[in-house]
Amino acid sequence: MTDPGSGEKIALQRKAKGKRPYYFSNPDVDKLLSMVMALTGELAVARDRIDTLERVASAKGLFSSDDIEAFELDEEALEARAERHKTMLREVNRIIVGEIEDLQNAGEEDYSSVVDQVENDD
Amino acid sequence: MSVSYKEQKPHAVLPQTNHDELSRQHFVRSFKEHIVDALHPGLKLAYEKRGKPKFVAQHRREPATIQEVGEAMKPDQHYQAWSSLLRTSQEMMWSSAQIPVERAINQGAALVPDQALLGSLTLDPTLKIPSYHTAVDIHCQPGGYHTEYVENDVAQGAIYDRAVYIYAMGQMGLYNADMGDSTVAWLKQSHPDFNPGRILDMGCSVGHSTLPYSNGYPTAEVHAIDVAAPMLRYAHTRASSMGNAVHFSQQNAECTQFEAGSFDLVVSHILLHETSSAAIKNVINECYRLLKPGGWMLHVETPPYEGMEPFDTFIFDWDSENNNEPFWRKSHQLDLEALAEGAGFTHKPLQIMVPSAFQETQRSNTFQGGDFGGGGVWFVYGCQK
Repeated sequence: MTDPGSGEKIALQRKAKGKRPYYFSNPDVDKLLSMVMALTGELAVARDRIDTLERVASAKGLFSSDDIEAFELDEEALEARAERHKTMLREVNRIIVGEIEDLQNAGEEDYSSVVDQVENDD
Repeated sequence: MSVSYKEQKPHAVLPQTNHDELSRQHFVRSFKEHIVDALHPGLKLAYEKRGKPKFVAQHRREPATIQEVGEAMKPDQHYQAWSSLLRTSQEMMWSSAQIPVERAINQGAALVPDQALLGSLTLDPTLKIPSYHTAVDIHCQPGGYHTEYVENDVAQGAIYDRAVYIYAMGQMGLYNADMGDSTVAWLKQSHPDFNPGRILDMGCSVGHSTLPYSNGYPTAEVHAIDVAAPMLRYAHTRASSMGNAVHFSQQNAECTQFEAGSFDLVVSHILLHETSSAAIKNVINECYRLLKPGGWMLHVETPPYEGMEPFDTFIFDWDSENNNEPFWRKSHQLDLEALAEGAGFTHKPLQIMVPSAFQETQRSNTFQGGDFGGGGVWFVYGCQK
């Protein structure tokens, strides 16, 4: 047990004791599904926050969700958003985009041959 | 659109959540509802159209046991996805209930209010936590019922109170009281002259099922025991905040310190399936010892497997292998008559389905994996001494 006044951060046990069952023939699928659901949850939390924002704004007479629906984006705003989407997609798909770069660099050497080279260039 | 969303009734000790923490909990509840409403129906279809025909082709007969339905279902992709998501929802549920509690502890915020306490609390730091609680964390609550992080800790109780509500998707009532409420309603209807003067609730956890007895029999002296100190501390403040005087003490239901023949009514709620073969016998023996002649023991549970279709049994049995409920299966297959007889009871024990007292939500009238509170009925096993 920890004294809460000690300044040491208390971390609750976050994994239940007991072997965790996996269901798909490849457990990585279970892990990925769990991550997708956690991300879906976080997305729902973010959407709820936006929903609250709209409702508070409306209750305070600032703007309503109808104002949001009726809002017309000008070209500059549309372009800024498209740019942000592009960055986000490149980040999410970084590993796949990276593979394309590898393919483009036709002369990519096998990693072990590089190790071999730097170890034995004396 | 009719509004029927029922949120847990806040009470003085329920953990405080900020906007996003609460939203995260609401999402888990929606996720669980989605599993029940949208994914669960696919299991029977997958069984009828894929799993069973394959099994029949191979064995020239239909699956007859939990294990045989499992053989047909475990390789099925829909079963795998459903199981994987159900397990994940359970993990997310605990996590979403832990986050605000962990934050409060680290911010030095009091998890329970400073208030006048009713009844009493007696802890026994020397009590050994039984191995059926320490071997694995039951129903996947990290740390189980008993783990303590700080002095006078209530964290596990605070997490449990909130998680039960999310788990049952609100179907256990605004205070999670449905098991107690339903049993009290049944008792009052079937035995209107029974007026217990002394009541004991075994394995009370946060006392959510205890309070209905205290409310239903206001002149009774109500005791409640559990092995886990964080549950009892939380339960004591929770009961006090609602104006209930209950005497909580840290004791194992297998062997209590109470005098023989000192109770008119001994109850438990989903306790038996969280024990063991030896412990369940001890608990029933102890009930017999504690009861006055004419007194009742009543244990609220989910229904035994006997008479269920093999497919339904397999699905209902999901928790035993997949949700850290190691005694779930065996406890649903016991000879309950022999158990009561072995303890000394001479009357034939009751084994009845009691309708839920909380009728505000639509009920399936069947229990299914991941929809524990949704049956609309509770199984009551009991006996009069």
